[in-house]
Amino acid sequence: MTTPILWALTLTAMAISGWRFWVRFRPLLAARPAGRTDRIADRLSFMVGDIGLHRRLLRFSYSGILHALIFSSFLVLFTAILESFGSGLFPGFSLTAIGGETWIALLQNIFAVVITIGLGMAIYHRFVIRPERFEGSKTRDATIIYVLATPIVITMILEASARLAIDGQGSAWRPVSTLFMYPMMALGITGHAAEQAEGVFYWAHILAILAFLVYIPGSKHRHMFTAGPNIFFRPLTPKGQLPAPAPTPGEDTPTTVQAYRDFTWKDLLDTMSCTECGRCQSVCPAHAQGKPLSPKKLIMNLRDGYLTDQGLMDSPDHAMPIVGGTIQPETLWSCTTCRACMEVCPVHIEHVPKIVNLRRSLVEEGEVEPLLQSALTNFQSQGNSYGKPAKQRARWTKGLSYKIKDARKEPVDILWFVGDFASFDPRAQKLSFLVAELLGRAGVDVGILYDGERNSGNDVRRAGDEGLFEMLAMHNIEQLEVCEFNRIMTTDPHSLNALKSEYPALGAAFDVVHYSELFLELIKADRLRINPGQAGRVTYHDPCYLGRYNGIFDAPRDVIRALGHELIEMPRNRDNSFCCGAGGGRIFMEDSPGGERTSESRIREAMELGDIDTFVVACPKDVVMYSAAVQALGVEDRIAVRDLAELITETVETEERVAQ
Amino acid sequence: MHIAAILRLNPVLTEELEVDEDGRDIDREWIGLELNPFDDQALEQAVLLKEATGAKVTALAAEAEGGERLLKTALARGVDEVLLIEVGEENVQLSSRARAPLFQEALEGLAPDLVLTGVLSTDDIYGELAPQLGALLDWPQVSAVSNVALGDGVATLQQEYSGGISARIEVQLPAVVGLQAATQPPRYVAGSKLRDLLKVEVPTVEPGADFGADLADATELEVPDTSGGAEMLTGDAEAVAARIHEILVERGLV
Ligand code: SF4
Ligand code: SF4
Repeated sequence: MTTPILWALTLTAMAISGWRFWVRFRPLLAARPAGRTDRIADRLSFMVGDIGLHRRLLRFSYSGILHALIFSSFLVLFTAILESFGSGLFPGFSLTAIGGETWIALLQNIFAVVITIGLGMAIYHRFVIRPERFEGSKTRDATIIYVLATPIVITMILEASARLAIDGQGSAWRPVSTLFMYPMMALGITGHAAEQAEGVFYWAHILAILAFLVYIPGSKHRHMFTAGPNIFFRPLTPKGQLPAPAPTPGEDTPTTVQAYRDFTWKDLLDTMSCTECGRCQSVCPAHAQGKPLSPKKLIMNLRDGYLTDQGLMDSPDHAMPIVGGTIQPETLWSCTTCRACMEVCPVHIEHVPKIVNLRRSLVEEGEVEPLLQSALTNFQSQGNSYGKPAKQRARWTKGLSYKIKDARKEPVDILWFVGDFASFDPRAQKLSFLVAELLGRAGVDVGILYDGERNSGNDVRRAGDEGLFEMLAMHNIEQLEVCEFNRIMTTDPHSLNALKSEYPALGAAFDVVHYSELFLELIKADRLRINPGQAGRVTYHDPCYLGRYNGIFDAPRDVIRALGHELIEMPRNRDNSFCCGAGGGRIFMEDSPGGERTSESRIREAMELGDIDTFVVACPKDVVMYSAAVQALGVEDRIAVRDLAELITETVETEERVAQ
Repeated sequence: MHIAAILRLNPVLTEELEVDEDGRDIDREWIGLELNPFDDQALEQAVLLKEATGAKVTALAAEAEGGERLLKTALARGVDEVLLIEVGEENVQLSSRARAPLFQEALEGLAPDLVLTGVLSTDDIYGELAPQLGALLDWPQVSAVSNVALGDGVATLQQEYSGGISARIEVQLPAVVGLQAATQPPRYVAGSKLRDLLKVEVPTVEPGADFGADLADATELEVPDTSGGAEMLTGDAEAVAARIHEILVERGLV
């Protein structure tokens, strides 16, 4: 008699839930392609670590643990759900044969406790600890889930308690249920009354589960279903390779992102997978500086805009257009493309490609702020942001103790791609000079492109000017392809990223090394003799485009140690490094911080380590950014910003010293 | 309606300029060239008028080098046609007066209703080009204009005077305008538009006219002396403030 009712209820709930999912995901079918179905095995094996082992989640230990508790409990308690629905829908169904009354029951009891602890921790976290990263997340949604999940567990336990109370016999396999059996019996619920109670708890359990099922598609907790696919379909291209604009199905030329269907389906899936956990927000330098950007809110706003556009939400704040309506241009321009958000997001949401895609639509319309406009115009006319003629690129080489080869005219071992900053910025030029002298001393066969070099286009691409990036990149590739060399070296992580990660997508693959890697080789091979002596206590800042983007963490550290210095790590190091604020074209834009500049907060972080005298950098832009920060903080007498090249120069034995 | 915009390249002034060996011109070996900012305004105004009235716009240049690239940028900005007047590679320094007959000839061929160019340029700080052209073509000419509207056979112009005063002037077309500022600041043209135009051939003409003769010649050029005169103030805020006060008093500024 109850079976048909259960069937009706279950099918209705599933239909409603299914429909609620379908309307949210149907538009993905009409969105642009993302090409994420290659290397299935890699995709699957990665999920083991990210879901099974909670690799990313556990970086935030408290919430990582509570998530692990709830997640594992859900898996175990799924057996209880199976039992409830199985026995109700298919009379005779039971897990008893495989241990439903013994070890499975015991596990269920244990994990009922585990999930209660997990939920308790979650509630404590959200309402008492209240970390800043929850600011802007939807508390009501989270609360509803706690309210729905708790009765599922309670009714599961009490249903068994009532069953045990029928005969008044506890069970060692169900310790928790047995515990609740006694008060029940004390209330006189035994025998027939207990049978009735069992029925009540059974139906309460069923209803709680079905309510949960119906609620889920409209909640951030749909990540239970979308997180897996979202991680599976994550990008496997190099981290430093931005996806090019994709064409909309049915149209042949890629256009910019104007409407939601102009995103790729993965972009839309991203927005539907965000858990509002705010981890991205907590590591975002733009957010920390008080800029109008939080990667979490960006994704939430895109999601709400998408839902409003689909008629599934009614929010005037999120009406079309995307840029200027849901998302403000200032939000997009605030991003340094540092990738900290993407690195930390437990469901592998891709913030940066979306930001760049939306920037592209602004650039296409000519809507760029005045400083950026003049930088981009300079790139168009001169190939560098300074608007300096290419002829002046190699001016910094004047006064070197030898003439650097022109790699376009003769073969070289190392082709040095100097980069704009290192070529034109007066402070960075001095470092280029030092690098050149060190290479000369080590007898490296090195050449440069002279006036043939243009900006690598890395930051131009991230500022959203795809066409200009292509022009710059193609120019450089044409120049490089006629040169004979073994490897490319650069001191500039942004150029490194373009050469190493971006150019391969344009059909040009080169062997690219950072100067820290080359100098480490030279030191190891004794081609540069180190004379350690003035060892200092130093700290090292990982440039985003060297570390997070290209995985070069150790070479600079090894060089520092080889020079005899004691390296003290800042709390935010390696892939958790904190951006200097210059990336993604930010360096070309007006910087009017709301709060403390990120570069200043970084210097402060270094000074909190105690007696650190040197802040070591390995990027020409960092030298400029952090020197300015040290000056702004007025701490020149306490900490010095020094480039790796300076450290090497002062410890390396000169020929004269060697001769002595 | 047909509008001609005359564009000129200028040395990039963010650079430290050096005087060449003759001492009569800057050393052009190392300098970069950029579109004269006032011509940039003229170009923008021409495109704005095109958008408002459907006029056709032709951009003209007469450059020894960089003219092609300049005109491709103009195409990307939205002009319909371009024309490069060949002046010969050796003529890197041409005054407005020298170039005016060349432009006159080209303009007589194009017969536009309105000629827009920058009010002045770093190579022409007296703003000679527009008046020269007006005189040569015998068309009305107005300079220091900040706003252009087109009517039936007339243009309404706003001419700027010092002290924030301006006059509204109506001129019969055809006319030559030396523009100071367009109605809107020049917009950015995305690289994709420029990239698509890279392969376009820029049409060129050999001028039949001779260069105009300059009435005056530079005899000596000197880089302004910027050394000295600066004093770095050091110390804490109070010491610096005290020193500033002292200087102001010393110089009789307060
Ligand atoms: S890339 Fe960096 S600056 Fe941009 S949203 Fe992510 S964390 Fe913030
Ligand atoms: S984007 Fe990722 S890290 Fe940010 S709130 Fe959403 S799930 Fe969390």
